[in-house]
Amino acid sequence: MLRIRDIDWGGYLKRNLFLRGVGAACAAPWVSRAATQPKQLRIGLTAVILADQAAFLARWADYLSQRLDARVTFVSRDQYQAVHDMLFNGQIDAAWTCGYPYVRFQSQLQLLAVPLYQGQPFYQSYLIRPAGGAVEVRGWADLRDKVFAYSDPLSNSGWLVAQGQFASAGIAQKDLKRAFFTHGHRNVAEAVASHLADAGSIDGYVWETMLLQGMPAAKRTEVVWKSRLHGFPPLVANPGAESAEVEALRRTLLGMSDDDAGRALLKSLNLDGFIAGQPSIYDSIRQLARSVPGSGVVA
Amino acid sequence: MLLRLPYRVQMPLGLSLAVVLSALLVTAVAAHLFVRTARVETLATVDRAAQLLGAQALPLLAADDTWRVFALLRNTAAFLPGASRGRARAAVLDSKGRVFASSAPQLIQTAQTLLGTSVNGQQLPPAAEVKGRLRIDRPDGSIALLEPISSEDGQVLGFTYIEVDALVFEPDWAELTRPALIGVGLAVFLLAPAGWWIGRRMAAPVASVAHVIERIGLVDSALLRRQLPHSADPELGRISAAVDQLISELQVRRQAERRALSAERMAAVGRITAAVAHEINNPLAGLLTATQTLSLHGASEETRKRTLDLLRRGLHQIQTTVTALLPQARIEDRALEIDDFSDVVTLAQPDAASRKLHLTTSVDVTSALRVPSAVMRQVMLNMLLNAIKAAREQASVHVQLRADGEKVEFSVAHEGLVLTREALETIVAAAGGDDPRGFGLWVCRETATQHGGGFDVDETHRPGTRVVFWMPNRELNEEPSAD
Repeated sequence: MLRIRDIDWGGYLKRNLFLRGVGAACAAPWVSRAATQPKQLRIGLTAVILADQAAFLARWADYLSQRLDARVTFVSRDQYQAVHDMLFNGQIDAAWTCGYPYVRFQSQLQLLAVPLYQGQPFYQSYLIRPAGGAVEVRGWADLRDKVFAYSDPLSNSGWLVAQGQFASAGIAQKDLKRAFFTHGHRNVAEAVASHLADAGSIDGYVWETMLLQGMPAAKRTEVVWKSRLHGFPPLVANPGAESAEVEALRRTLLGMSDDDAGRALLKSLNLDGFIAGQPSIYDSIRQLARSVPGSGVVA
Repeated sequence: MLLRLPYRVQMPLGLSLAVVLSALLVTAVAAHLFVRTARVETLATVDRAAQLLGAQALPLLAADDTWRVFALLRNTAAFLPGASRGRARAAVLDSKGRVFASSAPQLIQTAQTLLGTSVNGQQLPPAAEVKGRLRIDRPDGSIALLEPISSEDGQVLGFTYIEVDALVFEPDWAELTRPALIGVGLAVFLLAPAGWWIGRRMAAPVASVAHVIERIGLVDSALLRRQLPHSADPELGRISAAVDQLISELQVRRQAERRALSAERMAAVGRITAAVAHEINNPLAGLLTATQTLSLHGASEETRKRTLDLLRRGLHQIQTTVTALLPQARIEDRALEIDDFSDVVTLAQPDAASRKLHLTTSVDVTSALRVPSAVMRQVMLNMLLNAIKAAREQASVHVQLRADGEKVEFSVAHEGLVLTREALETIVAAAGGDDPRGFGLWVCRETATQHGGGFDVDETHRPGTRVVFWMPNRELNEEPSAD
């Protein structure tokens, strides 16, 4: 599992200095830039994973760089929309996003790979409350006049599922005492654990991984409700990206479970591997989005 | 208690106590100042935190970002005094006075309306009435600070709200006492022994002076003066100088006393010598006359025998007088006889004849005489010779011996110079002096006193003088009668 104290900052800095040195050498005027500079592949990350551990990302970037013959870098943003904006603007080549923005912007995206969590490409959305039962929340119907924490407006588990459940429970947004976004599933857990919110909607995979890593926010919260299975947040690419590079990235991701280094990285991610996946995996999300007014997904 | 201790203990102990008391006093004052300063600093910190929160929360309020306001509060409130113990918390309220987020959501709940309601028994003003920073001092000692968060154009977007519990302002005496106790302990550990050492050092000269004073008169003065401490301290210097002067004056006084004692002894020896000479000389004239009588009329058996008896008794008197001077002498004296009275008159006859005096005698003895003969002869001869000298020429001198079972009285009366009682006392008090009568009269008074009798002037006798001597009619070692 990933822990801050496990980060090899020294190695990380050495590699970056090395890469910067290589970059500086490439910038020398007598050397052809096009001939010497390696290809770059930038991958955007959202809060669908616990992606704020720099050492892990550096190791994963190294792993991918070695196999793609390209310099892979990760770009993290705490808002899904920001990552998609970068993807659509061509600032990044691929992104690990959520199933809801995938179905919403499906026409502008190509499915790159789908993670396998507990052996299948699915996950659940959790409704959580503070541990100990201090807050009387047993289900969605109990959230009237409560403070509720969402993850992100483009999160399936952190917003869309909740919207569907509120609608089913007959609770409108105005019936909540207050609702706010925390810009990440991890922050949903912290908001609920600290009683900033009475309840929150969170990615089940993230919450379980937090619990697995012993994070206090997960320990101080408890799951009240679990959704049906939905397609796991996929890695997507811009359709305009070079097909060879995207294909190489897909092959590398799909092959991570075949070697030790890849399996170690997958273990850190609490995942089993990647599969190519089909858009139909996200049919449940698509269906849910169509039922939620203002989701941006039309019937 | 302290004052009963020796000075050499008082001073170091006093200094040690002074060190401890000073440490306690300084600690108490420092603690008091710390408490006062701590409150001012706490309030200043709260003010600064409110300003910081207001500035940082403004864009977040505008963006309606509860989570980031919460993150800001959580980080900023950590700097509030007492926050680590949950005794201070901060919140950002929306424009209507509801909690937008707080650093302690369990105490200040999200979306709870604060302004215009009662919080901890203190009514907070409605949002519309809060125009500037407002500090609310609650009765329990806690405070609440309320400050509007306004946009650049003056629109109130919300409020910063900070609560600090009373416990934060209360001095943590346990925490304050710990360094104080450590300070006192260090003071006792380091300064008290130093105070004790300094005190002992300060008291040492005083103890030396006291030791010297104790031995004045017992030890050689020069040695004592050498042992006096020589201190640069002016007070101790004065004490040493005074003691030195005292030793010097005592030395001079002792020397003077020794000289006076020596002179007195010499004078006493002189007086004794004169008295002895006087007492020996008195019968000598009569005895010489007796030897002359013996040579002229020695053919007569009766005259020779009577004269030889006179000589024997006279010489015996002298022997008794001389023997009395010897220390631890045991004087064997016989009782007075009538013949002793006749001897005295006979011995004085030549002097009386030389002055053409007419001696008359009377004896009235009704009891056996038990008084010592040598003493009485000496007294009688002294009194008679003095009277012969004091009487007018050709006058009569009457000598009388009276005795009964109680006392023996001898008196001499003449018609010459008057001796008053006051004059007699003056002569006797002078212990003889230069007055030729003095030795005789002094011997008479001393003898009378020694034997429980008296020696006085009969002031009823006129004209002239009558001097009376009397003593109990008993032997020298005989107990006085019951009366």
